[in-house]
Amino acid sequence: MIATVRDDPSVVELVERARDGDQGAWGRIVERYAPLVWAVCRRFGLSRADAEDVGASVWVRLVEKLETIKEPAALPGWLRTTTLNECRYLLRTKKRQVPVDDPEYFEDGTGPPSDEWLLAQERQVALRTAFAVLSQPCRRLLSMLFADPPTPYARISKELDMAVGSIGPTRGRCLEELRSHPELAALQEPPSARMDR
Amino acid sequence: MGPYSEAEDDELTAELGTAMRAAAEVPAGFVAAAKAAFAWRNVDAELAALSYDSATEPALAGTRAERATLRALTFVASRLTIELEATESGLVGQVVPQQPGEVELQQPGGGKRTVTIDELGWFAFRAPAPHGMCRLRVRTADGTSVLTEWMTL
Repeated sequence: MIATVRDDPSVVELVERARDGDQGAWGRIVERYAPLVWAVCRRFGLSRADAEDVGASVWVRLVEKLETIKEPAALPGWLRTTTLNECRYLLRTKKRQVPVDDPEYFEDGTGPPSDEWLLAQERQVALRTAFAVLSQPCRRLLSMLFADPPTPYARISKELDMAVGSIGPTRGRCLEELRSHPELAALQEPPSARMDR
Repeated sequence: MGPYSEAEDDELTAELGTAMRAAAEVPAGFVAAAKAAFAWRNVDAELAALSYDSATEPALAGTRAERATLRALTFVASRLTIELEATESGLVGQVVPQQPGEVELQQPGGGKRTVTIDELGWFAFRAPAPHGMCRLRVRTADGTSVLTEWMTL
């Protein structure tokens, strides 16, 4: 497979660049993790306006934190905790005296986001990062396949000018490229974990 | 064929769809505001760390309502300490060791207010009482420049 020329800096590099004042690197950090912050707010059932307030607090704290952050790999966990704290604070000041850890505050009734949830979020970040640097034909094919509902093979065949029989194998090659992205590869479950699932 | 089965490829495809939809769900304004937060980067002042916050101390006595009316915070930098008391009527503080200067209140919403610090190190932000997320930038007469961590009042 032809290697794609990619500008695909790691989180460590992005944090270093942002620390040196690179606004673009900061933007990349935000794009990676905004869905995580948003998802925590949604779990709390916050309105959009409240989620925006919480987000504002979380991001200015991260800007401050950039100077001293030692282990960028800990960033997702830090964002989860900081967002949780800000959500709780907001709910406490809005609805005084109400115990905020009450499950009814969580939209899905499952309680605060667990470590398992965080791992799933990190995997989503890695998936999006890996997807973004795939070749354009791969991104196009996979987008049609993961659409909800999935695009019928007949239509994919027509639009991408590809035989129906080669859609599966092409997908396989694209996914192989996706799995080989260092960030995703680092999160791959060991075979034993796959067996146990 | 690669080492992965069709079922595993199906699973990964579905997972990818979930991840992409989760990102698409985030409002553009939420992301834009997050990007704009970079403007609050501190480039030159020493950061004064929060060393005490009465709101995070266990309540020994009194109700939540009482605690909400008075909050004490302390920020420490290498050359000075900033003691703060937040009440419903305002935010009062003292710089220790006592020295004059000026202090700017910064809020992510964009607001900035500056007041002077008197000879005894005292300063006050009166009505409207600062509320929500803020931090203070202290500049003393001898040229010391200190920025507190963000706090939520």
